[in-house]
Amino acid sequence: MTFVDFIVIVSKALILLMAISIVVLILTYAERRVLARIQQRIGPNRVGFEGLLQPVADALKLLVKEDILPSWSDRAIYWLAPLAVFVPAFLMWVTIPVAQDVVVENLDMGLFYITAVSVLSVMGLVMAGWGSANKWAVMGGMRAAGQLVSYEIPFIMAIIGVAMLSQSLDLEQIVDRQSFLPFGLIQPLGLFLFLTAGLAELGRTPFDIHHAESEVVGGPFVEYSGAHWAVFFLAEYMNTFTVSALTALLFLGGWTWPVMPFTGLVHTTLSATLFLLKIALVIWVIFWIRGTYPRLRIDQLMSFGWKLLVPLSFLNIVVTAIVLFYGLPLWVLTTVSMVALLAVFFLIRRNPGTDMKRHTVTLIPARQLRPNKTAESFSGHLSEEKGR
Amino acid sequence: MKGKFGGSNWVVIGFIQGLLITLRSALRSPVTAEYPSPEKRMNLAERYMGFPALTWDSDVEEPYCTGCMVCIRECPTQCMSATMVDNLSHVAGKSNRRKIVGEFEINLGRCILCGICVDVCNFDAIEMSHEHELSKYERNGNRVDLSELLSMGIRYQNMIGWKPQQPKKNSGVPKSG
Repeated sequence: MTFVDFIVIVSKALILLMAISIVVLILTYAERRVLARIQQRIGPNRVGFEGLLQPVADALKLLVKEDILPSWSDRAIYWLAPLAVFVPAFLMWVTIPVAQDVVVENLDMGLFYITAVSVLSVMGLVMAGWGSANKWAVMGGMRAAGQLVSYEIPFIMAIIGVAMLSQSLDLEQIVDRQSFLPFGLIQPLGLFLFLTAGLAELGRTPFDIHHAESEVVGGPFVEYSGAHWAVFFLAEYMNTFTVSALTALLFLGGWTWPVMPFTGLVHTTLSATLFLLKIALVIWVIFWIRGTYPRLRIDQLMSFGWKLLVPLSFLNIVVTAIVLFYGLPLWVLTTVSMVALLAVFFLIRRNPGTDMKRHTVTLIPARQLRPNKTAESFSGHLSEEKGR
Repeated sequence: MKGKFGGSNWVVIGFIQGLLITLRSALRSPVTAEYPSPEKRMNLAERYMGFPALTWDSDVEEPYCTGCMVCIRECPTQCMSATMVDNLSHVAGKSNRRKIVGEFEINLGRCILCGICVDVCNFDAIEMSHEHELSKYERNGNRVDLSELLSMGIRYQNMIGWKPQQPKKNSGVPKSG
């Protein structure tokens, strides 16, 4: 690698970092506005035109805030944890293309790389929890580990389904294969699994038990403040953007227009616009879900993951394999996928695993436990003892 | 969507219903008012109870208050103080009031807006005004004196077209003869 190559790579990474930071700023603003509208409020509209500069104000406030180090904390782990969360979130963007050939480095094994890197951020959350020396933070970190590890399986399985359909792990090729029909229409079940497991991977609202404010008061980030907390925040929203981008790439057809007469720069711009619009749609759905559903309990979360999503993701793969192996027409896959999706809804209706009996404690008065010992017999007992 | 699918037993229907409800409320316009900007505020109701203020008798250009201290004695938080002085315009024959308030101070930071002072006042001299914004930059910045209380009261009187409850008894206009 020559020096010029090095400079090119570093500048690409810097540009990517800038772009994603701006996207994250926009996302925080957009989330607050969308949630406000869902709750019939107005949302932030003071700073700048319609509050557009609100995220800038928030970022400034976070940067000048005092960074507090708890006295019992494990210093090295405590300071490294934000980095361990942020770096994987950023690394994923190395291979996610925004349009044809607009990418830092297109890898042939892009999907594999993404699944491999996305798991790493769990470690950062556990580190943050452990390093804080705070019981809520440790609990939050453990919850994050349990949740993210269990939802990683359906997440990756849904990705594998797409890889089988497109016969490729290269994201640009996957998008090319969808120019006729997006995979979301061929595999509705896969889309459902991916989006649900992706929400859990992000720790967004129906699955946000690891930073549930009412239970673990903010989870692994309890002790963090100022710039380090901002890094966690940045990584979280970056992950939201990543999962939305992956959904758009893998299931919604990415940047392909049905008809595209242009070439060159116009083509790239239009493609990137379409792609960003699709991402915006997915993000809006995520915010919408956040504004609608309450948080799951931890047992509901685990039973939903292991008893529903994991078997269905395997089913998804098996059905895809059969259809591809015997060369059946794709509408077979669509039909089976739809049927499986309806089965999901049926199973959600049955609420598997969550109908367990509550362990209640019945209080029984003490006098019922010893029916013979009424007042007289009790005194008799006493006198008996006296006599002895 | 009750009935056909057995109501909430169909959890999925419930899920979709929930999404539709939030979507519908997202499409409605917000119900909140924007507070600090004056033109976007909601109007106060006429019966709104803000902080107490002293009323102004515009017939003889003096306050209704005689400094009789009944409100100060009844105040549950002891947030007021007042003095009574001889009314010079009574000596000059311009007013019916022999005594009039000399100094009056209310610590609005202590006031609990209970309205007891208004109830016990014999002279219609104190009213719950529409003032409600309390932010001050210094400690005890909420201690308001007589002139401030009177200007609050005059603002309130002008706003709602205030009339004394007992106009005959409390009129300051000197009786002829």
